[in-house]
Amino acid sequence: MARTLWSGSLSFGLVNVPIRLTSAARNLDLRFRQLHEKDGALIEQRRFCSQEDSEVEWEEVGRGFELEDGEQVVLTDEELSSVEPRKTRTISVEAFVDLEDVDPIYFDHPWFLTPSGDSEGTLRAYGLLTEVMESTGRAALGRFVMRTKEYLVLVRPRDGLLSLTTLRFHDEVRSTDEIAPGGRKPAKSKIDGAVAVIESLSTEWEPERYTDCYRERLQGVIEDKKKGKRIKAPEQVEEPKPAPDLMAALQETLDRMGSGASKKPARGNGDGLEKLSREELYERAQAEDVPGRSKMSKDELIAALDG
Amino acid sequence: MPRSIWNGTISVGLAHVPIKLYSATESKTVSFHEVHLKDGARLEHKRLCSKEGKEVPYKEVVKGFEVAPDEFIVLEKDEVAAAAGGRGKVIEIEEFVPDDEIDPVFYEKTYYVGWRDDDEVYRVFQEALKQTGRVGIGRFTFHNREYLAAVRALGDVLALHTMRFHDEIVRGSELDVATPGKGAAKAEIEMASQLVDSLHRDFDPGEYEDSYREAVLGLIARKAKGEEIEPEADEPEEETSDLMAALQASLKGS
Repeated sequence: MARTLWSGSLSFGLVNVPIRLTSAARNLDLRFRQLHEKDGALIEQRRFCSQEDSEVEWEEVGRGFELEDGEQVVLTDEELSSVEPRKTRTISVEAFVDLEDVDPIYFDHPWFLTPSGDSEGTLRAYGLLTEVMESTGRAALGRFVMRTKEYLVLVRPRDGLLSLTTLRFHDEVRSTDEIAPGGRKPAKSKIDGAVAVIESLSTEWEPERYTDCYRERLQGVIEDKKKGKRIKAPEQVEEPKPAPDLMAALQETLDRMGSGASKKPARGNGDGLEKLSREELYERAQAEDVPGRSKMSKDELIAALDG
Repeated sequence: MPRSIWNGTISVGLAHVPIKLYSATESKTVSFHEVHLKDGARLEHKRLCSKEGKEVPYKEVVKGFEVAPDEFIVLEKDEVAAAAGGRGKVIEIEEFVPDDEIDPVFYEKTYYVGWRDDDEVYRVFQEALKQTGRVGIGRFTFHNREYLAAVRALGDVLALHTMRFHDEIVRGSELDVATPGKGAAKAEIEMASQLVDSLHRDFDPGEYEDSYREAVLGLIARKAKGEEIEPEADEPEEETSDLMAALQASLKGS
């Protein structure tokens, strides 16, 4: 069962729904610990006073903030807690917005909101709110306080439940003014060429098809090391130069896909090479020691491995 | 011009787009450094060996993975690098998927993608993504680790999101949620819809300020003037007992 990180109520208008908050994402990264090379003992981090060079206990730690004039203001955790907003047990809905208007760039951490307790009243209010948001395509904007910080949040339905995302504030999202290219819109023929390439490489979003190759390889490295093998870093793919003639490059990409070398398995020999990513193909090419593999495209790798 | 954090190339088939990456977001949470309350001196974090109790210089620290209780496999830096693969500075787009099929829960961190050397090929790619409403999916290596990445048009630029993997997303079906004895009545749905409508606004992120950040900055200013700071208390909330009555009262009040 998922761990509850916060419980309180979701309030909209005069309706209060008791809810719990659990994380909707889990980090499956492999965790490493710091060790002392000499004796393999764990490293411990301790706090030391830079003036006295003595260890400092948690109770003696203050929060220092440097003012513009270089002066330092020190706050205790107790003083800091005095500015925590008062309604700490409520997510209060301030407005409903169209979900499609909120760009995911504002989304921070995802959570699930589940009803707290199984009283009929709670479950019905929870179900009603989920149903209405689903049918209207709207999401609720609200605020709530978790631990010490107040968050702006978006509540929306996902998987038949209510989910909550903490949002970044507008001034935490940077402007793109200095990054956007200026100048004229490129020629229509070029855009059309790129559109054709995108269309031909299009598929449905099936997240299960993507696995964390990094996690898998790291597990492999650990397994090998356990058996006493020494692992070398692979050679790096060379960065390709942009084609001098964009139209020709787009056309050739399309031609190659049209010949059935890529996406749709047209060759029917059942080896499934087309379904592999370039990464996986490259690893096979490495195992078979295919010459010139680092410069090969996905199609070229398939051709070389299939030969 | 903001400082870029990565240079590389996005490849789609034989078309290559030279790019730079920029951070798209920055936390404005007021950050403090740890100090010793007694003398106001900054604290330092020291690495101590748990066996010797002595400070350990950084170059004597290695990465260990715990394979059994207290049994560690030590990995050298180039062994960790081996796991990053051979992708180098190339983000090869493997396929394109409709923008609206990807739930934003998959997006983790966002970067802006800027052009480098040649803005035309960048603009062609950006415009084509915008017209098709599609997102390019590929793999991206950053600081010796590989990510799944989504590249999409955002306004006049491209954005790159690193993505969570499917097994890192919690599904609703994994949570044990009871269903009510009977579904919502038609009248309740109508009334709740009216309430949602009455509170409907256009999303304008500029309307929402980080009031906690303001409060902390205010507190710092008060403390700087030598004011006494006193803690405050919470207030409890109640459960709604009569859903219809609460909906009705809310509508009247809104």
